[in-house]
Amino acid sequence: MAVKVEHLWKTFQIPHERRTTLFENLVGFMKPRQYETFTVLKDVSFEVNEGECVGIIGDNGSGKSTLLKIIANILRPSKGTVKVEGKMTPFLELGVGFQPDLTVKENIGVYATVMGLSKKEIKDRTDAIIEFAGLENFSDTKLKNLSSGMQVRLAFSTAIQTDPDVLLVDEVLAVGDMEFQQKCFEVFNCYRKEGVTILFVSHDLGSVRKFCDKTLLLKEGQQIVFEETNRVIDKYIYESGSENYISNKKKTRLETPKNAKIIKINDVRFLDKNKVENNNFISGDPVTIRIFFESYDKIRSPIFGIALYHQEINCYGTTTEVRGCDTGLIDGKGYVDFVIDKIPFLAGKVYVTAAIASSDYKVQYDWQDRLYSFGVHNLSKESGLFSIDCRCKVTKNV
Amino acid sequence: MITSSHLHELWSYRELIIRLAWSDFKLRYKSSALGFFWSLLEPLLMLVVLYVVFSHLMRIQVEHYQLFLLLGIILWNFLSRGTSMGIWGIMGKPSLVQKVYFPRDILVISTCITALMMTLLEFVVLIIFMAIFGVLPGWTIAYFPIIFMFEFVIILGLSLALSALNVYFRDVQFIWGVVLQAGFFATPILYPITIFPENVRWIVMLNPMARIITILRDCTLYRIAPEPMSVVYVAVSSLVVLLIGYFIFDRLEPKFAEAI
Repeated sequence: MAVKVEHLWKTFQIPHERRTTLFENLVGFMKPRQYETFTVLKDVSFEVNEGECVGIIGDNGSGKSTLLKIIANILRPSKGTVKVEGKMTPFLELGVGFQPDLTVKENIGVYATVMGLSKKEIKDRTDAIIEFAGLENFSDTKLKNLSSGMQVRLAFSTAIQTDPDVLLVDEVLAVGDMEFQQKCFEVFNCYRKEGVTILFVSHDLGSVRKFCDKTLLLKEGQQIVFEETNRVIDKYIYESGSENYISNKKKTRLETPKNAKIIKINDVRFLDKNKVENNNFISGDPVTIRIFFESYDKIRSPIFGIALYHQEINCYGTTTEVRGCDTGLIDGKGYVDFVIDKIPFLAGKVYVTAAIASSDYKVQYDWQDRLYSFGVHNLSKESGLFSIDCRCKVTKNV
Repeated sequence: MITSSHLHELWSYRELIIRLAWSDFKLRYKSSALGFFWSLLEPLLMLVVLYVVFSHLMRIQVEHYQLFLLLGIILWNFLSRGTSMGIWGIMGKPSLVQKVYFPRDILVISTCITALMMTLLEFVVLIIFMAIFGVLPGWTIAYFPIIFMFEFVIILGLSLALSALNVYFRDVQFIWGVVLQAGFFATPILYPITIFPENVRWIVMLNPMARIITILRDCTLYRIAPEPMSVVYVAVSSLVVLLIGYFIFDRLEPKFAEAI
């Protein structure tokens, strides 16, 4: 057992008025202090075996980082126990304790010592660290004279010199460019192969899926599920969907000309495979785009259309007319479904434009440009923007 | 608290303590043109001012008054600098408290060691002056390292308490500044203890710093060995300060990362 967390609770007390000076404390002595109590973790228990890589996911404020900090012994639990076996190294922030006025070499010395390297190890590895960071010509330059990218590289190449038994990673990978992230992944893969136990907090479901054998899902401090990664991610996306449904609509809205408004779009919702409203989907799963409309008069066969955008690119657009669906006579409220059996997008945010036009396309009744969006998460090993059906074949001895 | 397991843990972090202390020490002189000469110049300038004022205007009659004054200033500086730096031991390094874990007293210990390094530099000035004035220490100098170590223990104890309190009460630093100012005059630095009437000296000597400075001066400049009871008093009082410091520090330490 590398890490064992038992019935962990954590509450923060946040006073309404913060008394930071002794004077304020003396003056306010008579008044009882009022606290706001936040329970950040509620009865979290799990065990991580040696050599396992465990992801911790959840929405913002679900207590992921707090959990990691308690395991790292930076914060103390309010109740419950945490046991960690072996040498633990937290990667909560790169370059902890960097001093801008010290040189690169001096900073390596301090940082590596903070990360738990011995004097001899530091001496032996300093050159390798500088080389890995690509800073051979800057070893005696003050840190403040390096670019921020160089500083991150230096911090990273120093940090990875540690040989922990348990590694705690908190969103470190979120910084840096693609190349840097790639480097990070390679290093973490190496750690995994060496049998290092890794706890990995991330928002990026893709990297959690790539790395973690098991995943812990937290929601408002509660442990929802702790099991095999793909099932947890599935649960995260689909089961929290309806409860956590936040309007997917952007606040600003383009007004269409008043006179044209005989019929308007009230809302656009996305339904997942369980026919539940959701904003997040797994690539390859079905999604239904439902356009709620309201007409103020009888309209004969208006045309509903959608367009899907990734960033500024219009990836796809269609209408009821193109798809051979006659909407018939419309009077009052209703909705139109666009059913997509397999989401072709691999990952990212998809923006949706919804529109209603007259049966001959001549009058634009309502047109809401990219007001709605949903997220797509990739559980496969394919990369890129969208999935293309593709078969592989090998011919030998030609 | 100072248990053997904690001491053992601190020992395993010795490289970190030294590394932090040394990098702080370097940082202090890095951006000034005169480098560590400032460290030597500062007590000298203070010496000149105080010497002129007190030997000529106040007419204090003490043998080797320059050295008497210089040693007093250096020893008091050690306390005031050590604790003023120590007060920021925790608050001054938020990332080391919030993003990584090691026993937090290490941060305070290392700032005290930085102050110690600066004081050792100042002793170089003292030695030069002693040579110039032809004052050579006798065997009584053997007391010096022991008593000096107790001063370090007091500084560490005070710094632990102050650094922990400073996390929660930001005006501790101002209060402490006033206390130091008062202490400078209440401690026999500018004057010998003999200016007080015999029957009130013991009150002044309740202050362990008064005893430490008196003993160190006697054994360095005047070849006078301290009374055993005085040494015992210094030892006991400094350990009490350290224990109180650790007690306060340990009580407040668990919430440092939240309160910073």
